[in-house]
Amino acid sequence: MRILLKNFGKSFGAVNVIENLNLEIHDGEMLALLGPSGCGKSTTLFAVCGIHKVTAGQILFGDRDVTHVPSQQRNVGVVFQNYALYPHLSIAENIGFPLKIRKESAAEIKRKVHEMADLVQIGALLDRRPAELSGGQQQRVALARALIRRPDVLLLDEPLANLDAKLRLEMRSEIRRIQQETGITAILVTHDQVEAMSMCDRIAIMKQGQIVQIAAPMEMYDNPVSDFVAGFLGNPPIAFVDGALTGSVFESSGIRIELPSAAQRNGGPVKLGIRPENFQPEFPQKVSGEVTFVESQGRETLYDVRLDDGQILRSIQGHAVRAGVGERVSWGISPDNILIFDEKGARL
Amino acid sequence: MTGNYKTWPMILLLGIITVPLVLMYVYLFVDTVTNSAPGSLVPNEITGEHWRFLWQTLPGRPSIWTATFNTFLFATVTTLIVLSVSSTAGYALSRLNVPFRAFFLAGVMVLHAFPTVTLIIAIFLILQFLGMYNTLIGVILVKASLELPFGIWIMKGFYDTVPWEIEMAGIQDGASRFTVWHKLVLPQVMPAISALGIFSFLAGWSEFILPLVLAPDNKVQVLSVYLAALIADDNNFDMALFKSVGVFYVLPVIVLFLFFQKRLMSIYGGGTKG
Amino acid sequence: MNGSKSLGLMLLTPAIVFVLLFFVAPVILTAVFALTNMSTATGITGGAYQVTQSSLRKLAESYGQAELANTLAETRYTVNEEGLEAIAADGADARLVAEMRAKLGGRSFEKRRDLESAIKTLNSRPRNTRALKALSDTFHRSIVNERFESADAMLRATTNLGVALSADQKSALADATYTGWVWTTQNFTRMIALPDTQRTLINTFIYVFATLAIFNTGFALVLSIATHYMPARPAGIFRAIWLLPRISPPVLYVLLWKWLAWDTGFLSNFLANFGVAPRNWLLDNPTNAWIFIVLINGFVGASMGMLIFSSAIKAIPGSLFHASEVDGASRWQQIRYIILPQLRWPILFITCYQSLSLLTSFEYILLATEGGPGGATEVWALKTYLTALNNYAGNLEYGYGAALALVLVVVGVVLSLAYLKVFDFKTMVRPPRIEQ
Ligand SMILES: Nc1ncnc2c1ncn2[C@@H]1O[C@H](COP(=O)(O)OP(=O)(O)OP(=O)(O)O)[C@@H](O)[C@H]1O
Ligand SMILES: [Mg+2]
Repeated sequence: MRILLKNFGKSFGAVNVIENLNLEIHDGEMLALLGPSGCGKSTTLFAVCGIHKVTAGQILFGDRDVTHVPSQQRNVGVVFQNYALYPHLSIAENIGFPLKIRKESAAEIKRKVHEMADLVQIGALLDRRPAELSGGQQQRVALARALIRRPDVLLLDEPLANLDAKLRLEMRSEIRRIQQETGITAILVTHDQVEAMSMCDRIAIMKQGQIVQIAAPMEMYDNPVSDFVAGFLGNPPIAFVDGALTGSVFESSGIRIELPSAAQRNGGPVKLGIRPENFQPEFPQKVSGEVTFVESQGRETLYDVRLDDGQILRSIQGHAVRAGVGERVSWGISPDNILIFDEKGARL
Repeated sequence: MTGNYKTWPMILLLGIITVPLVLMYVYLFVDTVTNSAPGSLVPNEITGEHWRFLWQTLPGRPSIWTATFNTFLFATVTTLIVLSVSSTAGYALSRLNVPFRAFFLAGVMVLHAFPTVTLIIAIFLILQFLGMYNTLIGVILVKASLELPFGIWIMKGFYDTVPWEIEMAGIQDGASRFTVWHKLVLPQVMPAISALGIFSFLAGWSEFILPLVLAPDNKVQVLSVYLAALIADDNNFDMALFKSVGVFYVLPVIVLFLFFQKRLMSIYGGGTKG
Repeated sequence: MNGSKSLGLMLLTPAIVFVLLFFVAPVILTAVFALTNMSTATGITGGAYQVTQSSLRKLAESYGQAELANTLAETRYTVNEEGLEAIAADGADARLVAEMRAKLGGRSFEKRRDLESAIKTLNSRPRNTRALKALSDTFHRSIVNERFESADAMLRATTNLGVALSADQKSALADATYTGWVWTTQNFTRMIALPDTQRTLINTFIYVFATLAIFNTGFALVLSIATHYMPARPAGIFRAIWLLPRISPPVLYVLLWKWLAWDTGFLSNFLANFGVAPRNWLLDNPTNAWIFIVLINGFVGASMGMLIFSSAIKAIPGSLFHASEVDGASRWQQIRYIILPQLRWPILFITCYQSLSLLTSFEYILLATEGGPGGATEVWALKTYLTALNNYAGNLEYGYGAALALVLVVVGVVLSLAYLKVFDFKTMVRPPRIEQ
């Protein structure tokens, strides 16, 4: 089911949270809503599922205008951050609740609950209470409950935020698997870029109630429209260097870099975005500086290098430690992968 | 409580202050089954005569069983009304988009602190007008109403602690607000409802002024009025009998208290009248 | 769909009905009744018109109509159509009736003898004295002790008596003889004028402040701090014991104190060992009565403070206590610098809340001393109750009682509004998160 938000706006009293937002989610697609805390992700999600009233614009499911349709009739499944399982009901009753509301027969409910439990792999837990389940298991129950009545749309509000690192990894692929198996249209709200990139077909990045860019994960990684997007994706994050561009030469007091062809500018202030993987000893455009920080992450090692004018570049390299703190190094930048932004942060 | 200070001085201090209270309650029970020589505080015989009111009706009084039944009816019905009305109203105020919600909330809050006994004259006259003077139903309605602001207040507070997500999930699952309340939220506040229920029952069981003023008649007399009338009657002074009736009257209270001490403490500490 | 709105109203309706009927209406009616002279004598519905000795006295004294009062008090004999028809119906001689109508019609006589001598002058007068007596009795007219449903009926009867009334006299008579309640502001002037009121006011202040200061906050603090420094078990036992007065029904609880204080009670028996004569400590003199009143109320009141202070102390991080002990603080210093500062708000809360409830509570005093000895322990709320609702007094003065209650109602409304201010009302009314 395609979802369309047209000129959507939402305000709480005098506070305008979202203005004139347009967003289309394709049928069967899983879209990530990614953005910093308070940017309006949950608000958008609540509007889609009908918990919040829309103050402007329209929401369409397929061709159906659901702007003023109450939640109960939208057929949207939601998985909440804290799962919101009903503590007084058993797992089976939790999963079967949406069907019970629809007055389906007990036998039918039982059959579907088992089917669903198998899908999310919690068949053995059906008689327990939510309090007797681990976080990951609760997560699966919440997913099963959201999916059991075959919703047109599945909404996930930071579904992995409460899990530990290992479980998070596991549930990431698990949710993706289930979404693909059921072919349901889904929106995933998160502020974890790894989650967004690894699970979703496309990512919509939000900032202060606006969508900044929508694109497939790698496309967005390679071609961010702004420094905000570039800074949001990638871990360890991209490093920015301020300077001026004259012709195809970037210069700041610390470095001088020949840029391949790219945009040409005469003396205008710009900002270069250099990802850690593009700052390596073997690359051509050498810049030198002092190592100020070394962090070994096991498989890889992260270095912060302070240039002569005080700006910092980041480098991530293979296992072996090549330099210690305080050492002067002269490493290179791969000019093809440099991102150039103007002083307002827009991509050149 | 830490290990660095001696605890016995505190226990001793409080123990001494507590002695009179303990004495009163111990003698309450002792005196109902014993006799002591005049002027003596030590019992010298065990007797059941003070409990005669159980099988013989005292002159000029209703039967103790009538009074007990009335008290039970009074306390139970009051409790049921308080529970049903405050569990619905509390939810509406806590969670629903009711018009004038702020006004209602302020109203409940003010009434919750408002001293209800000051209204008793007007209530007395209202019941006279309505023809409900000297009826149990009249005094039940009054007692329940006067307990309501407190009940609504407590219930609202408990509803506030139920996570919103549970309700949101219920709505997404297709349930109406009413179903959400009744199937999903109400079960979460069951502990509150039982605490409020026990509290209201005890309040009803102990109530004195309202039945005294609004339903003093023998037929509808409750135990508190029965006992007060017995004590006030100068012609038949019998402290042991008073105490026996008192023990009979207080026994359910003590039992409930022993069983539900924790819950009651939470609600008594939660800002009740007193 | 406005499901939430209509469901909300539906769920609220019972509460609203109850509150309107037994909160809002009583508040308004208290104000209304305070402006009347309603009492058992006037009844609470409408009244009738009745010329009684007391209403005649009132007519003379309050309305300056002494003469009219005297006239009405007299028994009169008036020859009018009504009487003439009556004697005709009794079978009197038709000629006699006609002659009386002609010669005596409309005339009034103060004494029966006067009427009899007038009849004797008639031609067709009855022969024997008995008939004469019976005849004149028929013309006996008096409205004393007669009840009239309306003022008009009474005034008509008065005119029938042959007493002519001016407009002033009519209204004075109607007012003075009305037995129902009337509007008046006298309750308030009386309240201000009576020296009793001042006495009651002082009593009320003694009662509220002594109980509040000594027990509801003072002793409650002692209880909560002392139990804080105890192992869990004894602390729990002490708290449970001190909660007993609150959960005990008041009638029973006061009975225990009576047992303690009465002349055959524990205290007298115990003190007899030291040669103190037995007496009723509860009522023998005002000082002792006050001590007991404060004790009785205080033992009940202490428990609420105890619970609230205890949970506030429990909320203090344990590390604070440990740190201060490491720093070598004595217990007293710990109490002074760590516990007490944390209890500022709870103490304010208890003070606000309980001053209001103490101000208006009278249950325990009613049961213990009934305001005695000699009104020494009569507080405002109790006075209100005794004035309007105590049955021994005979005449229950609802109007005056309501005026006394109104003072408390006003204080109650003001204080509970203040209570609203103390609380964080904003967070309470945060809008619901589901917006349907
Ligand atoms: N009921 C409300 N009244 C007023 N402002 C609100 C309300 N709900 C949310 N907001 C504001 O709207 C903005 C967006 O909130 P929202 O919950 O959508 O953020 P979010 O992107 O989900 O953040 P997070 O990642 O922290 O969950 C925030 O600035 C928040 O303060
Ligand atoms: Mg959010």
